[in-house]
Amino acid sequence: MSVELPSDPAFATDATVEVDAVSVWFGPKVALSELSCSFGAGVSGLLGPNGAGKTTLMRAIAGLSGVNEGTVRVAGRDPRRDRSVHRSMVLVPEDEAVPNGLTARQLVCYSANLRQVSDRHAPDRALGTVGLLDVADRSVGTFSKGMRQRAKIAAALVSNPSVLVLDEPLNGADPVQRLHLIALFKQLGSDGRTVIVSSHVLSEVERLAERVIVLVHGRLAAAGGHRAIRDAMDTTPRHMLVRCDDSRRLAAALVGLDSVTGVTFEAKRDELIVQTLRAREVAVALPQLAKAASIRLLEVRPLDDSLESLFRELVR
Amino acid sequence: MTASTSTPTRLWRPRPRLLAILVYTWQSCFPLKRWAAILMPCVGALLFGLLSRAVDAGPDRAFANVAAEGIFGLVMPIAALVIGDSVLGAEVRAGSFYFTWLSPAPTWQIVLGRWVGGSTVALVTIAPCAAAAAFIAGSPSSAGAAFVAAAVGSIAYVAVFIAIGCLTRRTAVWSLAFVFLIERLLGEALTGIAQLSPTWESRAIFVGLLDNPPDRLVRDGIPQGTDAIARLLIVTLVVLLLANWRMRRLHLSGAMD
Repeated sequence: MSVELPSDPAFATDATVEVDAVSVWFGPKVALSELSCSFGAGVSGLLGPNGAGKTTLMRAIAGLSGVNEGTVRVAGRDPRRDRSVHRSMVLVPEDEAVPNGLTARQLVCYSANLRQVSDRHAPDRALGTVGLLDVADRSVGTFSKGMRQRAKIAAALVSNPSVLVLDEPLNGADPVQRLHLIALFKQLGSDGRTVIVSSHVLSEVERLAERVIVLVHGRLAAAGGHRAIRDAMDTTPRHMLVRCDDSRRLAAALVGLDSVTGVTFEAKRDELIVQTLRAREVAVALPQLAKAASIRLLEVRPLDDSLESLFRELVR
Repeated sequence: MTASTSTPTRLWRPRPRLLAILVYTWQSCFPLKRWAAILMPCVGALLFGLLSRAVDAGPDRAFANVAAEGIFGLVMPIAALVIGDSVLGAEVRAGSFYFTWLSPAPTWQIVLGRWVGGSTVALVTIAPCAAAAAFIAGSPSSAGAAFVAAAVGSIAYVAVFIAIGCLTRRTAVWSLAFVFLIERLLGEALTGIAQLSPTWESRAIFVGLLDNPPDRLVRDGIPQGTDAIARLLIVTLVVLLLANWRMRRLHLSGAMD
């Protein structure tokens, strides 16, 4: 399903979840700072490094915790004040806590009872959807992390919600389960539901979401399609550290490459810091260049290839 | 959504929401360790019954004196504290309470379901043990009074500890402070506090229902017997209303926070 994006990619057309100038702080720590964005039908990815404010935002959307400033609306209602919102919205939090002593079926049935589901097949259908029907009568306390996550997703799906807020739902899932869950979330999104999925892994969000909201330090860093986010990251200069047995000669050779935008020679440590916009090309060219010049490479290491550093670049 | 396995599906029988919360409370809030922690003070009640046999007085007077201090002043609050913490505080701390709270269930149903769930556990543990202690002490005529006083006192306590669970994350610590600092220390000195205290009022129920209670146990200024039952039920109601008010404003954080 393709989502028609309005002019500001942070806002969805026909939004069901609206976040307006929301700030949340815990003592001196600011978790969200004047954040405004919205979510509509389809899968939206919430991307950001650890501590970016993704979980705080999701908790605020779900009404689990309040906001210090700003407003959150789900289908036009305040999730903190209007408990009827929870008929159509569910949260699957990241942490592993599951109720004690219940089987997966009991957990899902409890969720169904709380939401007054009348379809008598609904619990088993939800368990089947996440592939837990065969172990439905096992205690969730004995489940692996991935299975617990799936049990929580089944409990969320049983009431057929129109808004799903999923905090790192793929954590602990094995590769096969991941594929299955990704397909499930995409299906839910294409059914017209609002699915908000958080992750700190860009490639995961790319496979899941048509639209990505990037948070860094509680602020909106970027928003839009995942290609736009990837492009933004690709136009961000990367730095790599190179150590070899003849730094000066290699530096001279590197300067001649189109893909290299700068080389700094750290004489003290006998290291080169190479700056580039096309890190992959440099990674391919560097060994060839060294071999041709009979230079022995001792170490090649990206200095800022972590997602966190890329995010940081985006908010500079 | 389609079922991904071929296992035949089982039909589920929907329950009313309040009943579902009640059943969940029994199923989930009382793991084996919690039962052990509840039953330990209950065994203590039986031992207090045995201890009263060593007191050099008639069995009725001896049991009345020991029960007033040991059972209503110590065993009942501690056992009720474990129950009250189990039905709310422990789950909030564990991070799994969101499961109930983030639902369209009205908060009064959550509070009532948890309270009824905890109270039934108290009624099958604390109250029978208080009555059994009377038999062990050789004072069967006190068993009814002990049962009623322990039953009313413990359900009031469960309500108080649920309210404390809605007010603070450190339910057990604040509950202990409530029992030992506010009730025991201040309640001993101030009748105004004793009038609202489950310990003092349950003791007053017990003393008021006895035929010939020891004079030292009759405390002036607080209702006795059936009046104390009415007082404690009002306290319970008010505390449940407070818990409901707070429940709507809960800020839940995860287990890791």
